[in-house]
Amino acid sequence: MSIKQTMKTTIALLAMILGSSALAVEEGEQLPSFSLANIYPGQPTISSAGLAGKTLYIDFWASWCAPCLTSLPLYNEMYHKYKDQGLEIIAINVDNPIEDGLDFLEDTPLDFLIPSDPEGDAAEMFGVIGMPSSYLVGPDGEVKLVHMGFRSGDMDIIEAAVQSALAGN
Amino acid sequence: MRLLRLLGFAGLLLSVTACTQVQPWERGYLARPEMAWKADVLEGALNDHIFFSKEASSGGSSAAGGGCGCN
Repeated sequence: MSIKQTMKTTIALLAMILGSSALAVEEGEQLPSFSLANIYPGQPTISSAGLAGKTLYIDFWASWCAPCLTSLPLYNEMYHKYKDQGLEIIAINVDNPIEDGLDFLEDTPLDFLIPSDPEGDAAEMFGVIGMPSSYLVGPDGEVKLVHMGFRSGDMDIIEAAVQSALAGN
Repeated sequence: MRLLRLLGFAGLLLSVTACTQVQPWERGYLARPEMAWKADVLEGALNDHIFFSKEASSGGSSAAGGGCGCN
């Protein structure tokens, strides 16, 4: 193998390795398909296919993430406010061990769907760059809003986006 | 010789990929008590107080937060 060929092979190999990291899901893109176990043992698996045609608010959270814990009870209120209009909230828990997430849920019961992603497979697929990260998805499967972090006042932005997505139903 | 040097360099570059970033969803590991510099919080606070009294400076030993990098 010539030096030129070796260089080409090296560059191609490096490009492959560096390019293998997942790209983040952005607004306007289609929702990646996922299928995750329910955090509650014995409950059915939660998959994107089973939620097709609904307005989804997908949130990645963990028990060690303080802003996540602030946001979840507020999402529960939002869920009760808009569930009759077709809103479905899926709060994907990334705790490993899962028991850490379940301990929080024991004190703070939430009424929406909570899948468990202890290995971070879905988080990697979505290209989560911070915790919490959330994605509002329209009934057509298009990502309408990507929201990272949770600060006071963020709920207004999120609720306005949810209302807009539901109006398009 | 040149080929060997090139291959050595490529090997070095490839070994860099072994240093991976802690992903946002993995930062819970960093927030665990066993990851703290000081296992005993109370003793750590006392030591910090003594250090501050002697050196007239404080901080730099730890930071608040769960390590989610979100705020």
